[in-house]
Amino acid sequence: MKEIIAIIRMNMINKTKQALLENGFPAFHCRKVMGRGKRKVDFTLIEEILNLEELQGTKLETELAEYHRLLPKRLLSIVVQDQDVPKVVETVIEANRTGSPGDGKIFVLPVQEIYRVRTGEKNESAL
Amino acid sequence: MLMIRAIIRPEKVNQVLSELCDAGFPAVTKMDVVGRGKQRGVKVGDLYYDEIPKEMLMLVVRAEDKDDVLSIIMRNARTTPKGAYGDGKIFVTQVEEAYTISTGTKGL
Repeated sequence: MKEIIAIIRMNMINKTKQALLENGFPAFHCRKVMGRGKRKVDFTLIEEILNLEELQGTKLETELAEYHRLLPKRLLSIVVQDQDVPKVVETVIEANRTGSPGDGKIFVLPVQEIYRVRTGEKNESAL
Repeated sequence: MLMIRAIIRPEKVNQVLSELCDAGFPAVTKMDVVGRGKQRGVKVGDLYYDEIPKEMLMLVVRAEDKDDVLSIIMRNARTTPKGAYGDGKIFVTQVEEAYTISTGTKGL
């Protein structure tokens, strides 16, 4: 059993949900996160839109401060059988790929045990 | 590859992030969490606060960079040189594969 953690663009979540459903992986868990990647992001465009003086002292201002600027992203977590990993990875890549940096990352982690809370079933039968 | 999940104080996030960036680990994901530790939360009078807000930093690094990242986080997330209860925890887990979506390539 493997856990697939995918970090994707905010506006791609509906498309990804649909693609996963069509390929037979309806079960997943997702949350809103902030993050940055290897590339530096050009924030001058954001500065042009926002009036930074108005934001002074707010939480948003510290988040936009020079050093640790993070972008909002969606984190998907999908737990599947070993043999389904390539199909899920392919589905997520296909649905999210725009070709430009910032599309996201996918990590595959091993899972040792799975339990279903309702019945107490273990591992494969609980998935 | 290893995934490092560090649960730290919200007020230390900026310092840790800028130090990580300087040390050559710019890629990181941050999320808001609440939790308690071994001390069962914070006791004020007769009241226990057991849902203390923290920030979780998640980064995936090559195995040989693990010690660097851990020492950066531990050095910068401490509130006093010796550390105090509530400074947080770090968990390290195995990552088998990583993919970049924009190019579809495998690897970090």
